[in-house]
Amino acid sequence: MRTPIAYFLIVSAMLFSIGTVGVLVRKNALIIFMSVELQLNAVNLALVAFSRMHDSLNGQVLAFFSMVVAAAEVVVGLAIIVNVFRRRQSTSVDDAAVLRG
Amino acid sequence: MLKLIWLVPALPLVGAAANVFLGRRLGTLGGWLASATVTGAYVLAVIALGDLLSLPDQERLHMTRLFHWIGAGSFSLDATLRVDPLSITMVLVVTGVGALIHIYSIGYMEHDPHFARFFAYLNLFVFFMLMLVLADNYLLLYLGWEGVGLCSYLLIGFWHDRPAAANAAKKAFITTRIGDAAMLLGIVLIWVHFHTLEFGNVLVSTRSSGAGALPSAGAYTAISLLLLAGAVGKSAQLPLHVWLPDAMEGPSPVSALIHAATMVTAGVYLIVRSHVLFEMSGTALTVVMVIGLCSAIYAALASIGQFDLKRALAYSTMSQIGFMFFAAGMGFYTGAMLLLVCHAFYKALLFLTSGNVMHGLNGETDMRKLGGLRQEMPVSATWFVIGALALAGIPPLAGFFAKDHIVSFAATSGRSAAWVIASIGAFLSALYIARPLFLTFFGDRRNEEHAHEAPRLMNAPLALLALGAVTAGVVLGFTAEGGVLDRFLAPVLGVADHGTHGPSEIVLLAISVGLALAAVAVAWWIWASRRVDWQAFPDRQPELAGWLANAFYINSLYAWLVQVPGKGFGRVLATIDERAIDGAVNGTGAEVRQASRIAPIIQRGFVRSYALAFLLGAAALLLFLAVRF
Repeated sequence: MRTPIAYFLIVSAMLFSIGTVGVLVRKNALIIFMSVELQLNAVNLALVAFSRMHDSLNGQVLAFFSMVVAAAEVVVGLAIIVNVFRRRQSTSVDDAAVLRG
Repeated sequence: MLKLIWLVPALPLVGAAANVFLGRRLGTLGGWLASATVTGAYVLAVIALGDLLSLPDQERLHMTRLFHWIGAGSFSLDATLRVDPLSITMVLVVTGVGALIHIYSIGYMEHDPHFARFFAYLNLFVFFMLMLVLADNYLLLYLGWEGVGLCSYLLIGFWHDRPAAANAAKKAFITTRIGDAAMLLGIVLIWVHFHTLEFGNVLVSTRSSGAGALPSAGAYTAISLLLLAGAVGKSAQLPLHVWLPDAMEGPSPVSALIHAATMVTAGVYLIVRSHVLFEMSGTALTVVMVIGLCSAIYAALASIGQFDLKRALAYSTMSQIGFMFFAAGMGFYTGAMLLLVCHAFYKALLFLTSGNVMHGLNGETDMRKLGGLRQEMPVSATWFVIGALALAGIPPLAGFFAKDHIVSFAATSGRSAAWVIASIGAFLSALYIARPLFLTFFGDRRNEEHAHEAPRLMNAPLALLALGAVTAGVVLGFTAEGGVLDRFLAPVLGVADHGTHGPSEIVLLAISVGLALAAVAVAWWIWASRRVDWQAFPDRQPELAGWLANAFYINSLYAWLVQVPGKGFGRVLATIDERAIDGAVNGTGAEVRQASRIAPIIQRGFVRSYALAFLLGAAALLLFLAVRF
């Protein structure tokens, strides 16, 4: 007997909400980054769950793609954060607000 | 040789191209190359003349079709060169005098940093002038016509870093443009009425049945007057003459070649070439005569008022061309051509000699600061004496025959009033040319600076021009009827009816010579004998002196007529520009700046707020989709 799809979706929604709140309330760029990863993984979970429900591999394949893209994004994002830190001795995103109008 | 006539214009074109592309490397050689191409063209033209002379009188015509030029609907035109006595005469003048002036220029322009550019322009001018005189249809003639106008512009403004030269160039181009626009309309009218532009088909006074009827006299008058407007602009006749005196800002060889010997005579050539049209109209021919006579007298008086050597000569050119127009207007075309040829020699000589004076005295042309130069520049003085006496009409120099034939023709053909005015013009022309002669080369030195004689390279071409100025009249036109040039041109221009009115020829001759000698004597008495204080004249008679020196203020009148409405119009445009156009542009900027005050309220620069906006947006979108479906 399969686990009902609703369980997966609830976990996924919780993960996504935690990630969203993390992105919105934290100031440390690294933490924000981790929260974004949490959101991505929540979506991955939902993808895999739906994939199983429909007995189709498409969703799983898409999940792999998003993991690869996330890995690449981490590389670039971390590099940017490291460089910003070197320059400003801070990883607070509120300090990087020079583009305000 | 007649088949190879295309080589005549092609050679100067090659010279121009060589000077444009290789000028910097060629150096002085470029000048020699340019002179060689024009000399080569002259030699070819002489050979062509020989071929032409070997044919019987009535068969002296050779057409060379170069290529099909324009085909558009029913309009079809070939580029064809026409060699006949009239065109070969012009070709010989252009290349002959042109070659001598080219050689002179090598010496004159030696130290100019833009030596190659000068010769490129000069060669290009010769090319266009040859196209003008060799063309067999009005459109090809117009091409050459505009081409010489362009070269005239380029050469007047050759020293374009001088504002006066740049302005004079623009003035010449725009003023002649007025005439050229009218001329183009005339050419269109020719097409409308004749459905062809070729001389052979247009210039016929009778037409065999079947080829369509001839246009009405009114159409002929309209065409002729429009062509005349072009001729008046190019030849600097009243009322489009104002550009010529200013054109003297160009280098002296340019004044000699373009603004005395060749280009300005293009108007005379056009009228003589189109004489059939003018004759069919009748009215137009009278207009030519009146314009010529008025210009001759007007320019003669203006010349007497000038103190700039080159400007005095410029007005004398205008006056001489007035005589050519006068002759053509009386139907004495060969007389006009004889004066054209003779004038080319002595006027080129006079201008180049004034070039010698400028060369020897650091560009001084104010005659009040010259004087007594014959001691230091004896050779140049000789040339000027020859040129001036030739122009004054002292026998047996060239100008005597040419001018006397025209003046006598007026008398013998029964135009007594015209004869009296022309005689006054002849008297004035002797007076106005003797004046610069005495002021420059005789009398007291009024300049401390040491003058030096021109180098041999510059004096050698002058010797040949002087030879022409002395002999051209005797050789080409010893008698008014049946002279060499008269007979040669008769197949093209017909034989003029000299008539038997008025006093006998001997009396007319005596009057002419008497007037010329009297004028020279008067000029000597006033400007060289030291018995008249001519320098005080402008102070005693400021009104008269002002009228003469400013050429009756026609230039100022034009300036006023153009300037006042022009400036008013400009002011209106400036207001529109400031208020409407600038207002719109600046207003847009101001509005954007105003609007940008609002943007920072939402653009805080905090990533968080942007992310929240994303989230809310995405949530709103989802909500919308959920409600909708």
